[in-house]
Amino acid sequence: MEEKSCKEQLTENTDINQDELILQQQRRIEMEISESIALVGEKESIKSLEREYSEDEIYLSKAKALGQKYSYIRRTRPDGNCFFRAFSYAYLEKLIGNKEEYEKFRELALKSKDSLVALGFPQFTVEDFHDTFMDVIDKVGEDTESSYIELHKLFNEQGCSDYVVVYLRLITSGQLRREADFYQHFIEGERTVSEFCRQEVEPMYKESDHIHIIAMSTALGTGIRVRYMDRGAGTEVTAHDFPEGATPAVHLLYRPGHYDILYP
Amino acid sequence: MSFEGKYNAKSPAVKRLMREAQELHEATEEYCASPLEDNLFEWHFTVQGPPSTDFEGGVYHGRILLPPEYPMKPPNIILLTPNGRFETNKKICLSISGHHPETWQPSWSIRTALLALIAFMPTPGNGTIGSLDYSKEERQKLAKKSLNWQCDICGKVVDLLSKNTVKKPITVEEQTMLNTIALKADDSPTSDMSYLVNSDTVSENQLRQRGIEPIINETQDRQQPDVIVNQQVETMSSSNDLFWSILIASLVSAIILLVLRRLFLV
Repeated sequence: MEEKSCKEQLTENTDINQDELILQQQRRIEMEISESIALVGEKESIKSLEREYSEDEIYLSKAKALGQKYSYIRRTRPDGNCFFRAFSYAYLEKLIGNKEEYEKFRELALKSKDSLVALGFPQFTVEDFHDTFMDVIDKVGEDTESSYIELHKLFNEQGCSDYVVVYLRLITSGQLRREADFYQHFIEGERTVSEFCRQEVEPMYKESDHIHIIAMSTALGTGIRVRYMDRGAGTEVTAHDFPEGATPAVHLLYRPGHYDILYP
Repeated sequence: MSFEGKYNAKSPAVKRLMREAQELHEATEEYCASPLEDNLFEWHFTVQGPPSTDFEGGVYHGRILLPPEYPMKPPNIILLTPNGRFETNKKICLSISGHHPETWQPSWSIRTALLALIAFMPTPGNGTIGSLDYSKEERQKLAKKSLNWQCDICGKVVDLLSKNTVKKPITVEEQTMLNTIALKADDSPTSDMSYLVNSDTVSENQLRQRGIEPIINETQDRQQPDVIVNQQVETMSSSNDLFWSILIASLVSAIILLVLRRLFLV
């Protein structure tokens, strides 16, 4: 009798340990997979999506539909920062070839620091992120072939790449806080805008939702078209423009939980 | 402090820490902190016990370990001076509190972490890992004793705080953070602390000596230029350690099971 209860207890314990063990392992594997993917990859033919889904009818038909509209895809590391990383890479890449828009964006970026400090963000650290952000913008500012190489290099250096992400998160948070009355309607639950910002926008590795995209594209005055690819009905890949009605400067592909860059 | 040539000055983490070292260079009456001579990723700090609490008049010293991913990941704090609120020689980190979930933000800094530590000292430990719930008397006794405490590297810590410099005012944003933040012991076993696991039984004095020795060893170890790599390994191995301890625990349970079966079945 005693032996049995003892045994039961022991098996129970081992079960818990097993579960934990499996979870641990799963997390580690996920991390390893994530880290084996480049922060920002090379440009690939859009056909690589069709190959990826050769066994999956719904996604395959959507990948084919996407192939009608886009020629290339550039993948990013799925680490929760992918929206900000994908966007900033794609946008800077576009600006390399467009001097006028580049200067406009540089001016806006330059001024953004003071308005963040005015909103109450700690000056000392905001300055640190802003300096690196401006460094990156300046380094890709020369309209030459080497700017593309430099951009790719900078975005694959973890430190530099993450600093750009942090700064865009701050800009997004700043926009949400400035227009708190408006954005409050988009936040589910009991959270205030500033709570939402501290929990879902400012910390790294937190995934981006519509509200992040609306706020950031509005703050930067840049159009973004997101193509949604999921298991929903139809063979089309729905497009959504942020902010509504804007001419898209950057195209992104969304698959549940992740953003990559698309090229027409 | 001469870190030039030793670290990649282009690395944002290095630039950031140099800046923070500059900012915290001057001691206030509330806290002071600076990186070790030869390791930008390990700092020593001293904080004043918060006034009108059990810790009033005490001066507490400790280490700050910065992950290679700093400021994307939070710093870890280790207290060295016995204080009756936090176990000494145990990593504590800025973490999520029950009511208002908060996570580390890259725009926080070492100053934020120190302010959080000071603000968190008078809160009840509630039996969480790494917390101590010593009585008021014991804490006051330790606070008095702390004035004579010496760090092997920094010397008599009571002299480190400035008596004249007015403390920098806490900003609104910092206050919001302080209202919601919690400090928690890092419960994953870490390589550089593992030999202290049984330290509960040793006397305070021994503990103090043992707590200081490893710092010296580490400083020697870390004199090689691959400091950053070392730390990366350390951070990564902590999850590995947890994995192994779980594995060992399940193996031990299995063996006990077999022994019990053998005992009772025969």
